[in-house]
Amino acid sequence: MTRIRFHIYILFLCCGFNLTVLASNFAEEEKFVASFANSAISILSNNSLSDTERTSSFTELVMSSIDLNLISKFVLSKAWKNASDEQKEAYLIAFKDYFVSSYANKLDQYAGEKVDVVGSQEAGKYVIVESNIIREGTDTLKINLKWRLLNKDNKIKIIDLNIEGISLVIAQREEFQSFLANNDYDLDKLIEKIVSVSD
Amino acid sequence: MNLRILLVLIIGSTLVFQGCASKSTELNSSLSQQEVSTVNDPFEKVNRVVFSFNVIFDKIILRPIAVTYKALIPGFVRNRITYSLNNLSMPITAVNNLLQGELRKAGVSTSRFIINSTVGLLGFFDPASSMGLVTETEDFGQTLSVWGVSSGPYVVLPFLGPSNPRDFAGLLSTSLLDPMYQIGGGSASDSLRTYRLGTGAVDFRSQNVEILDDLQNNSIDYYAAVRSFYSQGRESQAASNLEIDSSEQENDIFDDFELDESYVGPDIEITYD
Repeated sequence: MTRIRFHIYILFLCCGFNLTVLASNFAEEEKFVASFANSAISILSNNSLSDTERTSSFTELVMSSIDLNLISKFVLSKAWKNASDEQKEAYLIAFKDYFVSSYANKLDQYAGEKVDVVGSQEAGKYVIVESNIIREGTDTLKINLKWRLLNKDNKIKIIDLNIEGISLVIAQREEFQSFLANNDYDLDKLIEKIVSVSD
Repeated sequence: MNLRILLVLIIGSTLVFQGCASKSTELNSSLSQQEVSTVNDPFEKVNRVVFSFNVIFDKIILRPIAVTYKALIPGFVRNRITYSLNNLSMPITAVNNLLQGELRKAGVSTSRFIINSTVGLLGFFDPASSMGLVTETEDFGQTLSVWGVSSGPYVVLPFLGPSNPRDFAGLLSTSLLDPMYQIGGGSASDSLRTYRLGTGAVDFRSQNVEILDDLQNNSIDYYAAVRSFYSQGRESQAASNLEIDSSEQENDIFDDFELDESYVGPDIEITYD
């Protein structure tokens, strides 16, 4: 009897050990996502703020948590390499405004009641943190979010958000590529379009 | 617990196919020296015409219905409808689980259907999930992808929206082979079909009102955005069925991030106006 108990104890110990190893794998990154999500939700559900205040603190939170420079270059893909320095500058400025006016505000739709971080994994030089939003008023209808993070010089930044298998950054990149393909690969036209949409 | 494992599997294996897609389409690179197209869309011109038609149809019919539905029907009831549609798709999911060789999942889908149709009051509630019986819906398009059939070119169908030959074939087989339509006589299965098609469309659209409005208003190229969403979503489902572990090819795509680090760019002041 004691022997069985001992075995069970060892088993539990192993499980416990495994669990802690798994959980603390990318503890810092998981904590980053959890705190980002919590701050986002507390801003969005803060009724004492005016709409403008809410939007601006939300935007501020988003902009300080992402690596916009990397994202900007990535979504432009090969066109970035062929761009002149003036084009690069104009594009970066245009994309930032576009991002603020569309994405930063878009994200509030995904900030449901509660974001559960379910785990993390290494993905090359990135870490992917997985989380779920549970649809309001149900316990089982979930929206799955996957955060791609880059830890550079001990600073964690969000690179991409994948919603139910759809990467927003890849979608944005395909959109830009498509626009360029339909407009003689003229980067100036794309910049112009980006500016006009964010106005 | 089961759900978590399933979710991790699904998420983990998400983007592999995007990698495949971008590789296979390097064939298209002759289109331009500057760009490598990442999408398989040889019928883009025709697709764009059909897409514009669908956008108009959506604008004058589907979206108004979805918005009204959302405004009039309380969230609780709408969630019940979502559950019931999910329940009605369980028999065909079980068939597809079998065709994919997933006996355990077929058992789960069947049990879900039996429990939720009875204890769950015709599927409007989901007691099966709290018993740990959780599974994703499966269609024939996904089964074909498990069998190694590739999606083929992107196609926009009138009314039905984004698709491809594989998923369209799946759609046709589903309407022929769904066990739900074998139950009862002609009229019973007809009204079931109407309920699923009509309510399904409204249910889906109502869940996406803000997202699609936003996408439409903020898009540089709405057509391309929808195409990307559809292709990515389907490929991630396909990858999850094949239980492919994510990230190598996904990372290939994201490795591009390091491109041209030499250019730092202007020091952008981020303002929050």
